[in-house]
Amino acid sequence: MLEFLRSSAVRVAIAFVVATTVATTAIFGLVYFQIKAADQKSNRVILEDEAAKSVNHTIDELKYAFEVRLTHGLRRLDYAALFDADRKFMFGNIDELPAIPLDGKSHFVAASPVPGGDNRMEPAIFVARTRPDGSIMLLGRSLLETLAFRRIVQSALATGLAPMLLLALAIGAFFARRASRRLTTIHDTIARIMKGDMHLRLPVRSQHDAIDKISRDVNLMLDEIMRLLVQIKGVSDNIAHDLRSPLAVVHAQLERGLESSDSEELHGAARQALAHIDKAMLTIAALLRLADVEYGPKSSKFHTIDLSAICADLFEFYEPLATSKSVKMALEIQSPVQILGDGDLMREAVSNLIGNAIKFTPEGGTVRVSVAQEDGNPVVRVRDNGIGVEPAERDKIFQRFYRTASGHRVPGSGLGLSIAAAIANLHDFDLRFDDNHPGAVFEMAGRRK
Amino acid sequence: MSLTQATPKHLKPIVLVEDENGLADEIKIELERLGYLVQIASIAEAANSARVGDAAMMIMDRLVFGEDSLKTLEVLRKEGVKVPVLVISALSTVDERVHGLAAGGDDYLTKPFAMVELTARVEALLRRLDDLRTTKLQAGDLEMDLIEQAVHRGSVRIDLLPREFKLLEYFLRHPGQVITRAMLLQDVWHYHFSLETNVVDVHISNLRKKIDVRGHSSLILNIRGAGFMLNADA
Repeated sequence: MLEFLRSSAVRVAIAFVVATTVATTAIFGLVYFQIKAADQKSNRVILEDEAAKSVNHTIDELKYAFEVRLTHGLRRLDYAALFDADRKFMFGNIDELPAIPLDGKSHFVAASPVPGGDNRMEPAIFVARTRPDGSIMLLGRSLLETLAFRRIVQSALATGLAPMLLLALAIGAFFARRASRRLTTIHDTIARIMKGDMHLRLPVRSQHDAIDKISRDVNLMLDEIMRLLVQIKGVSDNIAHDLRSPLAVVHAQLERGLESSDSEELHGAARQALAHIDKAMLTIAALLRLADVEYGPKSSKFHTIDLSAICADLFEFYEPLATSKSVKMALEIQSPVQILGDGDLMREAVSNLIGNAIKFTPEGGTVRVSVAQEDGNPVVRVRDNGIGVEPAERDKIFQRFYRTASGHRVPGSGLGLSIAAAIANLHDFDLRFDDNHPGAVFEMAGRRK
Repeated sequence: MSLTQATPKHLKPIVLVEDENGLADEIKIELERLGYLVQIASIAEAANSARVGDAAMMIMDRLVFGEDSLKTLEVLRKEGVKVPVLVISALSTVDERVHGLAAGGDDYLTKPFAMVELTARVEALLRRLDDLRTTKLQAGDLEMDLIEQAVHRGSVRIDLLPREFKLLEYFLRHPGQVITRAMLLQDVWHYHFSLETNVVDVHISNLRKKIDVRGHSSLILNIRGAGFMLNADA
């Protein structure tokens, strides 16, 4: 329970109730005092007004006027009487002059005998004024009705406030309970996720409040963590897999070398072992490179680069290699094709594609490199008319370490296309394979936005 | 294999900061075999040596005992210490090399590396031609005029493509040093990735065809398992 009271949701609810109460009471109080003030003011004005008007009437006129006003006046008077200069009662419906100044202003008298009402007393206001002939005129109004009206307003306000508070309390409790239930759910879910239920996600409703927004963000974070975990596992599996066999080979070679008494044979074994280790290091470097590109922080070095210039540069770099293999190379560029990216990485990706194409194109073949802007989208294509890719293998070539059946005799880590694909992806490009009838087309195209 | 301990090529030691004992020992043995003095040191010791001018150069692992040695390097550079520094690192993220160089490293090598790659870079840094204002480079009877962008072998003018010119210039600037394929890729082509093809070899062989004279040994030698070397005696 204490924990419940401490929870922020409950605190918010309590604050809500308190605030509602204070605000409501303030409004009700204001209404009440406004009514009271207005009522009092109108009473006083009526009396003083009346006293001022009647002060110069003759006695008879006054007598008549009193009768009329006391019985059926619109601006009702409850008390009217005239006293002589010695404060002796002359006529009217009140026998005794109350103890108020004779100044023509209204004064409150807490208890005044009700006219014709055998010893009953009531609160009233009176105006007393001296007439020119020395007699004293007294006018008064009972406050009984006014007070009754105030009491009605008071009780109305009071009875209104109670349900109001209950309602605020109920609403507050409802929200607090709901929020705390959601927070408890979230808390429990996170606890389960931390225990290893990595596939669980925080509940998200269709509404868009703050908790949902945070839940959604946390879920995205969890997705990303999941992805990274899977990838780390993948990378380490791959490293383990790709190192185990060369290590076993090296082990066997060195063992054989040591067992032999011929130093020439030991030398040969050591050389072979070294070659295997070099290949393994190349693979590790490629794997780490791949991991960097795929899961490293997005490079902060993105700026405007020209794909045409990059391809032209690589074309010049690779042409001698192609020529040495009697493979022709052709370059088709529209200049310039600018994108936002990392020049070093893009060069690496295109380098892998061109290197691959030359590797798999036999003598007399052609490798074409083209850069174009197609419907506003940058596209780099590397096509060859070499051995191509068997249909059954087409969706596997981007997998790590995958090497086509025909490609097994060609040296390489088998990671080149994976790295190229990862770099393309980092730049919001897609790397696709197509058939060139015969040969292969690798197309790296900017994704449509 | 019998090796005579060569006399030290430098009187000052190469200061090595590396917390992996196995690797540190291997680097030390290899460099000593090549005739260098090597001193294995902590970051603080290395920084002190560098400050008082007792180090020929430094080889620094990027992370030593969990500490980022680049911070020390940055401080040294701010103090105006000019000692050549080779940064070696297992960190290979895209920006790491740039960070290493920005902090004041002169070269950056990512683990794992072949020992020859390390020694070649050490040689290059120790014998770096600081005077880039040289206008003429020479090897035997081959002469390169950097202002005219012209190459002559004896009295015969040799026409080179711009990249071939750069390639030859690199060799001429590092006479008698082992130059690896990775160094050429990095310094001549400015490619910062490894290749699985022998493109560089093809470029070298094309260059040889242009600069070599029949009957003479080639100006650029192949060093087995390492790379190439300018043959200054050709």
